[in-house]
Amino acid sequence: MAIQTQSNVVGADVAGQGRLERLHDLGHDFLEGKRGGAYVYDEEGNRYLDAHGAAGVFNLGRRHPELADELKRAMRETDIGNFPMISREKALLAKALADFVSGPLECCIFSVVRGEAMDAACKVARGFTRRAELIAVDGGWHGQTGFALSLSDRKDKDSYGPLIPDVRVMPFGDLDAARKTISSKTAAVILEPVQAENHCRIASPGYLKGLADLCREHGAVLILDETQTGFGRTGLKFAYEAAGIAPDILVLGEALGGGMFPIAATLLTQRVNAFMNAHPLIHLSTFGGADVGCRVACKAIKIYIREEPWRNAAAMGERLLSGLRELKRGAGSQIRDVGGKGLLLSIDLGSPEDAKRFCKAAAEHGLLVVPGEVAAQTVVIRPPLKISPEQVDEILASAKAAVESM
Amino acid sequence: MPNARTATESTDRRISSEEKAEIDALFARHINSGQLKYLRSAHLDVLEIERSGVRFTDSVSGKRMYDCFTCAGAFNVSRHNPLIMKALEEALDDLDLGSYDLLSAPKLALARKLSSLAPGDLKGVLFAAGGGDAIDCAIKLARGATGRQGIIATVKAYHGHTGFSLSANGKDHYRHYFEPLMPGFSFAPFNDLEAARKLASDKTAAIILEPVQGEAGIFPATNEYLRGLRKICDEKGIILIFDEIQTGLGRTGKLFACEHSGVVPDIMALSKSLSGALFPSAAVLYRKTPIITDFLNRRPNFHVSCGGGSDIACRVSLKVLEFIEENRLWENAARMGARLKGALEDLMRENPKIVKEVRGLGLMVGIEYCHEFMGPMMSEALGRHNVWAAYSGNAPQVMRFMVPLTVNDQEMDEIIAAIRAAVKDMKSLLPVALLAAKIPGVLKLLNSEKVQVATFGFLRRIEELTGKKR
Repeated sequence: MAIQTQSNVVGADVAGQGRLERLHDLGHDFLEGKRGGAYVYDEEGNRYLDAHGAAGVFNLGRRHPELADELKRAMRETDIGNFPMISREKALLAKALADFVSGPLECCIFSVVRGEAMDAACKVARGFTRRAELIAVDGGWHGQTGFALSLSDRKDKDSYGPLIPDVRVMPFGDLDAARKTISSKTAAVILEPVQAENHCRIASPGYLKGLADLCREHGAVLILDETQTGFGRTGLKFAYEAAGIAPDILVLGEALGGGMFPIAATLLTQRVNAFMNAHPLIHLSTFGGADVGCRVACKAIKIYIREEPWRNAAAMGERLLSGLRELKRGAGSQIRDVGGKGLLLSIDLGSPEDAKRFCKAAAEHGLLVVPGEVAAQTVVIRPPLKISPEQVDEILASAKAAVESM
Repeated sequence: MPNARTATESTDRRISSEEKAEIDALFARHINSGQLKYLRSAHLDVLEIERSGVRFTDSVSGKRMYDCFTCAGAFNVSRHNPLIMKALEEALDDLDLGSYDLLSAPKLALARKLSSLAPGDLKGVLFAAGGGDAIDCAIKLARGATGRQGIIATVKAYHGHTGFSLSANGKDHYRHYFEPLMPGFSFAPFNDLEAARKLASDKTAAIILEPVQGEAGIFPATNEYLRGLRKICDEKGIILIFDEIQTGLGRTGKLFACEHSGVVPDIMALSKSLSGALFPSAAVLYRKTPIITDFLNRRPNFHVSCGGGSDIACRVSLKVLEFIEENRLWENAARMGARLKGALEDLMRENPKIVKEVRGLGLMVGIEYCHEFMGPMMSEALGRHNVWAAYSGNAPQVMRFMVPLTVNDQEMDEIIAAIRAAVKDMKSLLPVALLAAKIPGVLKLLNSEKVQVATFGFLRRIEELTGKKR
């Protein structure tokens, strides 16, 4: 069912003409219907391999049956729950997360989406350090809510300003610049270990280590945003493990709910959480860590532990990246660059128009991908972590066909 | 009114006090030890199991407690409503969250339903994941569409804890440690039209308010105030935003609180009860004025929130709206609200040294005590009589009663009887406290949050030692 015919009835009411046009430009002007594993179907039954991944929501694939079953059980025993109350479900999930992450990140604030989790992180950093300055890096993308937006590298953000004051931006990957920027006035340094929306730029272990040292030296808090990189996406459980460091605050996104329940989390060390202990109920969320969602997330963590999907992500990531490199060699100037880590990969097509054209052509060949939110000339490839070698080849074949048809 | 109980109520899942202590310890270690201490001091550290209808079961005592807090108004359709459960269960057979930027049949269906129920010409729909997310979306939309920066909020307003919504919160308590927040926000006293008029200018993007201030302690806006604000907005090209996150979906005796005044805002935020008490959901409705439409056409991916407007949530919320509409739940809210308010007013007349004022609209009712320290005392007393109620975040001297809108006559009678009994209990404790309050400085001390936590925690330990517990 194409939206262009639907739009006259109701589509425009939901989305507005501008959004419908964008969906049309991307070849995504269909209604999401059945879904499962690596695939989603439109209402006519056309199949798409989902490498869109809703920006890191579908690490465990589409409509994971075990999570659906767990949610069915949980909804009979719990519900959203009263947010200020003591909750078994929240306590057990917080414990499971602390064990899963391992190391000093023992405490947890729950949210409903990643933006809220990032806003919580910034607030705690300010409260804990009694300082205001938040230092972000260029090319970052952290979410739609107030603090998250203020830290993100978006051309349109002036439309919503003035945003949170005392936010400074330093160049990504430049430790000298960091040395000049981070000071005893700094509350927090915030970055993604891999910038998913910015051609999957990777923070080197040396850079992350250097930032952690600088933060410690100046009494600042290191916040890592692993909403897209966490839960195995880059071939490690968490991307920061590659640097042999741990942040003071770790922001986790909806991958926590396995794509079946909106839940995000801000993990903190006991040291930093002392601020929250001293000021309970100062940051609230009606749906954050809803009891029923905590059950789903606990189950998702069990699945992550059982399947260790980061191993597959590492192997399949290599296969996919080498395939994309080959594609680049064959495609001449059409593909400027390919990059990324694990199953968080990116293709640079040179211009935003070509990136959109690629997405549309890919959709016609059964592959669902979207342009990067920061680097609009790129297309991000984020399939489920348990993807098979055959499915990797399917992505590569669709990408090849897309490039050829452009 | 259909009985919204579930059939799964009978299983006994009570836990031992040892097990409760273990959960408390995990909560304190991995979430927040201060919160546990705080809840304990007011006897609010209950763990809820068997949630159904207008009640839940206290996990340790096994007592059925009336839920008069309902997650600050998130359970309008009652807890474990079988029709909502069925909708969620069916949704889980074929859906997941869906991709935030793609369209789907459930998204279209919910949008269509919201459009048809919304007052006036609020026909446009954006989705969000929760209340804060929805307010951030609303303020961004207002600033983006008008190209202006100024936001006028109200003193003591409560809109959430995300960046924009926190910036619109009108009480220092939630903001203090996180400043500086966004510039451009100013605050006018609630129900003070002249103050709003003085702040409004051609640099103002939006005026944002709750039609009934909730956390501030239940203050309904007057019709004249809302109509006056509408006029100011029309004259100066300002966007009027109503935060109906607590007041919407039948709570105040109308489907939307703004219907009392007939004022239609340009943007309305909904969340809380849209969840059906089961699945996070939020929406931002907007009038398709030229500036808003133009703006959204230029920003096709405006505020696409990864957990917002999920396919599962859309199915659940659609059933919530159908349930509210079919049962005309707002009519029951008006009727039951009037009974509750009447009973509380009687109580006020009988106890002028305890109850200072009763305010409310529909089933959004609050009583204001004569002193702040009475809030935690009353929470504790109510708990003994099987009612779980919490005092307002922005006003500890006010206790809110926001029961599910499905409450029936018998349940309301029991709630009223419990409140009466709790006030009677409190009266026996008051002579000492009131006498002490006359000594200079002691009242201030009693009203301090830290002293309350310490004192009530201490009293509770004595009670436990002397075996008087509940």
